Amino acid sequence: MSTIIEARNLTKRFGSFTAIDDVSFTLEENRIYGLLGRNGAGKTTIMQLLTGQDFATNGSVSVYGQSPVENSKVLSNVSFIKESQKYPDAIRAKHVFAAAPNFYGNWNAEVAEELIAEFRIPLNRDIKKLSRGQVSAVGVVVGLASRAPITFFDEPYLGLDAVARQLFYDRLLEDYALFPRTVILSTHLIDEVSDLLEHVILVDEGRILLDTPAEELRGSASTVVGKRMDVAAFVEGREIIHTDGIGGLASVTITGQLSPAERAAATAAGLELAPVSLQQLVVRLSSRENTEGTEL
Amino acid sequence: MTAVPALSAPSAFNRVWNVVRLHMISKNTFIVIPWLILFGAMAVSLIIPLLLAFNGVPREEFEKGAVNSWAVLSPMWYLCAVAVLAIAQFFPFSLGFGVTRRDFYLGTSLVFLMSSVPTAAVLATLGALETATDGWGLGARMYTALFFDQGSWIANFFIFAVIQLGILFVGAAIATVYMRWRMWGMLVFWLGAVVAIVLALSAITLTDSWPVVGETLANLGVIGIFAWTLVPVALAGFAGFFILRRATPKN
Repeated sequence: MSTIIEARNLTKRFGSFTAIDDVSFTLEENRIYGLLGRNGAGKTTIMQLLTGQDFATNGSVSVYGQSPVENSKVLSNVSFIKESQKYPDAIRAKHVFAAAPNFYGNWNAEVAEELIAEFRIPLNRDIKKLSRGQVSAVGVVVGLASRAPITFFDEPYLGLDAVARQLFYDRLLEDYALFPRTVILSTHLIDEVSDLLEHVILVDEGRILLDTPAEELRGSASTVVGKRMDVAAFVEGREIIHTDGIGGLASVTITGQLSPAERAAATAAGLELAPVSLQQLVVRLSSRENTEGTEL
Repeated sequence: MTAVPALSAPSAFNRVWNVVRLHMISKNTFIVIPWLILFGAMAVSLIIPLLLAFNGVPREEFEKGAVNSWAVLSPMWYLCAVAVLAIAQFFPFSLGFGVTRRDFYLGTSLVFLMSSVPTAAVLATLGALETATDGWGLGARMYTALFFDQGSWIANFFIFAVIQLGILFVGAAIATVYMRWRMWGMLVFWLGAVVAIVLALSAITLTDSWPVVGETLANLGVIGIFAWTLVPVALAGFAGFFILRRATPKN
């Protein structure tokens, strides 16, 4: 495994607002990363710092061991597709696809053509007249066909319908298998991508809450449901990330793997154990501040 | 262990040239629309003397007025928009393709040069034709109106080139202020510009220097004035570069 991106004590302030707060992490080559978090958590800012589009207030970013800022050696290897990408008014989709090969050394015209047909992108209409989903599709096609060694997708499918999103996931995996690369995907649709991700970085309020292989996260938390007293007894001494309840019933989410013996004990106590999906886990962890201090 | 870049960057020239190609990808902006505007204005400039002649206005009368025609300047207003959009819309677009700010600005400047210099040559040539054909046979004046009648092709070419470069680089520099500092940048910039102009006018008035100013300008002549104009244009060009180096393509 070799490190391709490293952020060290990365901080970004906009005036008095701290968007990214002393964050450090490393990304390995040829993996698919999920950069997850709520709106305004700092996902886009992190990506902009990693691609040299924005300047860090403090700390450092290195891509291939170098700063990405104004560095064409690094940037020739990067494709950054973002939801907020602006296109000039006078431009049509066909212009974008005609220009893209100049900038991406690995551009594959065949892949692009297939995807354009599959996403049904109108090539000859001004981009400003395309629907939100069609504009997103333009970005997705560029991101996939560029086959850049480092590919960032920032909420790439805003407005895309379910069929188009599934198409994106399928084609990403397919092409990733053929041409392994480092993919960093930020998204709100966590359940949809959870099978795709190899590693999850969860950001909240400019800090990293989780930086864990996706495999480890699956089954890393469970929800215990049952009578209040029984649940309380079972979860004692464990890390609780969420509690909920109506009347005499309680539902508590705890972290940590449960051993078979513990599972048996829970069942014996009349408790129900439910696995926590990646999305639920992210929701629980990101909204923790609100639930902390809630008495069981 | 640190990964090594899989792809090498194109040569410096190719990177800049890629930006040029990006600007030129839709032929309308720099080629089709300016010429449509110009030839539209030319059609009007030729129809008017025909109409006046039809109405019995003597040709000498008309020629006196035609010298004040602004028709040749009509595409220049459009150029202001081109300059601003070349930065405001193509900066975020180019950075989306992994272009550095440096390469973007150099490429954009090259586009400005590549569009103004040949255009100036064509305009000066049309001016020469206008003179040779005695106003297209109608006494019309368009390419030799205002101060565009400096006698020689090269002088007219120079003036046309300076005007276009000035509009493009100054417009682009103002757009970089917006890209870098957004609304507040615009406010401070325009307020500053207004204050500077008012101060300059007051200083000249209060020191009774208008005759001196008039005399200096007269001594410089049209060519001299345009030659000096190149100084602020070049300053705007450099300022745009340094302002954009720290700008971010955000909304």
